[in-house]
Amino acid sequence: MSRIDRDPAARSRLIGALATLVILWPLFQAAEVKPGVLFDPGNLKVIGNFLAGFLPPETGAEFMGYLAKATLETLAIATAGMALAFLIAVPMGYLATGAGREKATLNPITRSLLTILRGIPELVWALVFVRVFGLGPAAGVLALGLTYGGMLAKVYAEILESVDAAPARALRHNGAGRPLAILYGLIPQASKELASYTVYRWECAIRASVVMGFVGAGGLGQLMDQAMKMLNGGEAATILLAFMVLVFAADGFSGWLRRALDTPPANRASPFGWRSGGLGLVLVVSIVASFSYLEIGLKSLLTVEAAHSIGEFVAGFFPPDLSAEWLAKVGKGIWETLAISVVGTLLAAVAGLLLALPKWRAPFSFLLNTLRSVPELVWATITALAVGLGPFAGALALALHTTGVLGRLYAEALDNAPPAPGQALHLVGAPGGFAFLYGTLPGAAPQLIAYTLYRWEMNIRMAAILGFVGAGGLGQLLYFELSLFHHAQASTVIIAMLLLSIAVDQASARLRRWMA
Amino acid sequence: MSFALNGVGLTHANGFTALREITLKAEKGERIALIGPSGAGKTSLLSVLGTALAPTVGTAEVLDFGQNFRLTVELAKLRARIGTVHQAPPIPGRQRVVTAVLAGKLGQWPAWKSLASLLYPLDVVGARAALERVDLADKLFARCDQLSGGQLQRVGIARVLYQQPELILADEPVSALDPTLALATIRLLIAEAEARGATLVASLHAVDLAIGNFSRIVGVKAGRIAFDLPASEITVPLLHDLYASEGDELPVQAHEPHFLSQAAANEAATRAACC
Repeated sequence: MSRIDRDPAARSRLIGALATLVILWPLFQAAEVKPGVLFDPGNLKVIGNFLAGFLPPETGAEFMGYLAKATLETLAIATAGMALAFLIAVPMGYLATGAGREKATLNPITRSLLTILRGIPELVWALVFVRVFGLGPAAGVLALGLTYGGMLAKVYAEILESVDAAPARALRHNGAGRPLAILYGLIPQASKELASYTVYRWECAIRASVVMGFVGAGGLGQLMDQAMKMLNGGEAATILLAFMVLVFAADGFSGWLRRALDTPPANRASPFGWRSGGLGLVLVVSIVASFSYLEIGLKSLLTVEAAHSIGEFVAGFFPPDLSAEWLAKVGKGIWETLAISVVGTLLAAVAGLLLALPKWRAPFSFLLNTLRSVPELVWATITALAVGLGPFAGALALALHTTGVLGRLYAEALDNAPPAPGQALHLVGAPGGFAFLYGTLPGAAPQLIAYTLYRWEMNIRMAAILGFVGAGGLGQLLYFELSLFHHAQASTVIIAMLLLSIAVDQASARLRRWMA
Repeated sequence: MSFALNGVGLTHANGFTALREITLKAEKGERIALIGPSGAGKTSLLSVLGTALAPTVGTAEVLDFGQNFRLTVELAKLRARIGTVHQAPPIPGRQRVVTAVLAGKLGQWPAWKSLASLLYPLDVVGARAALERVDLADKLFARCDQLSGGQLQRVGIARVLYQQPELILADEPVSALDPTLALATIRLLIAEAEARGATLVASLHAVDLAIGNFSRIVGVKAGRIAFDLPASEITVPLLHDLYASEGDELPVQAHEPHFLSQAAANEAATRAACC
């Protein structure tokens, strides 16, 4: 082969592949990945017994009443939290994004504020707010609003940056201001993705509000916690079912909304028809109803006593314990958490892509939805039974839930990828798989990579709290120290979580740039 | 015989009838230009020839392959022998030019080769040769989103050259190129077809390009064949009749006043070369 006919990219590809292996190997070691344990007969028996306890699901009238009330509360927490998050996200996203600027500069102050909001997991926020405002939904709504506000703002900013910038640039050159250039040049391209991500986040909020019940913030989670503590498998099964119904309904709603965005506008001046009008009305009504149902008065948050207890509580966390001995322990926790997140995300990316392939979509979309509708924390209680306590259980739990999430996002990205290249390859006789690999996948790749890396950023936060149920990592440390009221030590762990999530954000952004 | 359409009609799922009673035959090595106003059915006709759409009425035979293009191994084999230049180049922006060109042979390569080629392009020499013919050899390892629209269109053409099909279909292959490049590209396609004895069917927006370069002109109007004549027999009134729905001006590439006589001259030159 002559010199000019050698692929100039081959060397860097080879080095990249080797480097990936060198980095991943110790992480898999740290996550204690032992697939054999999954099929250990003893473990299989334990998990079998546990699942058998789920049948029959509890259907007593009294319990169903509790269930209905808790479901409403969960919905209300999620909706109110999302409303708060949206209020935070729109201005912050606008400030943070480089989209629509003449020079693509990013706003470092907003970005770091967003990182802090997102970097501390909602469950940790909720734990803190429960201490300050007492048990109840207010803590959940605030925790959701802050974390999800940070997440939404970041994703909005990135979606706006990822669409074709030329239309906005042209508008700016014609003298339009930045907000108008974004509205007229970028939103039309990004609206589908923005809306579908927002609705998807609302589903996540429902899941998150369930999990927050575990720390006393109300809703289905509190009910689940009680059921689990009393080892009432029947009740747990019913709660899980209710939960899945909620998520499926949200999924249907999201699909309907995306289809609605696809319909061409009616032939009249106003682009808004009865559907958009009705939707807006429902949205406003449900947000108002959520806040009044939860009886969240802002007044109670603004009293002198509240301010005092906040101050006292926060002061307890300072100064953080920075002794060498404790730092070494936290360091080990960080490494384990990182390993859990990487292994979990990778396993999920592979499984999710397989399940998202157009060919297999139909039979597996139910599976994806089921995987997705069960929160990581609940999966972790189950995987811990299957493979024993420790980081592998955490990685598996992450992988199970993330497979559902990524599978669905991948499916959407593949649907939205330009179909022409794949079709053209079908027309030259390429087998379906290769038409996909050569034609469709490259078109969807930026989206797939962005979703995976973004999910990894989420999973690092999740990996940090999976330890609450004994699945290793920083969470185990935090839970331990908080229950012993060792606030200085807990503070170190929270700071470590924040730093870890910032580091992962940076790494992820760098990887995205490198792969783009 | 290269293809034979017999009384072909095509009604889309939404009820729109794109083609009616199309009967069209071509021998191996013929070079046919499809002209007609937009929406006349040129793309649908090419889709039937490319087996992308099966006719709803009538029979279609392409490269001795019977009608009813059902997805079978045989159809995949047939498709490997048909190359299509698309109106908009169907190439993912993130793909490298070399991979995009090599993808032309996915229908011919064994699976292991197609897979391995994703990791390392397995026929760099072949891809380079195809790209040289469209003057893009220097972009071999560039990514497609770094190319201009015209360059990308030529990558699409290079893919078809690399595929070496027996039937080349081109759907407005040069509408994105400037006049000089358009002419050169049409000539390249014709030379390629000539060199390998392949049949070429191209739909063209510019009447002068069609008449100046193709020996056989098929006019399509409202889903039917309006005329099917040698280029030398095309008259201006005939063209005005074909494009009646688009006003008085005929769509041409370059406003050269006597393109018809130029076509006649070409025809003479071709005949002289033949004998």
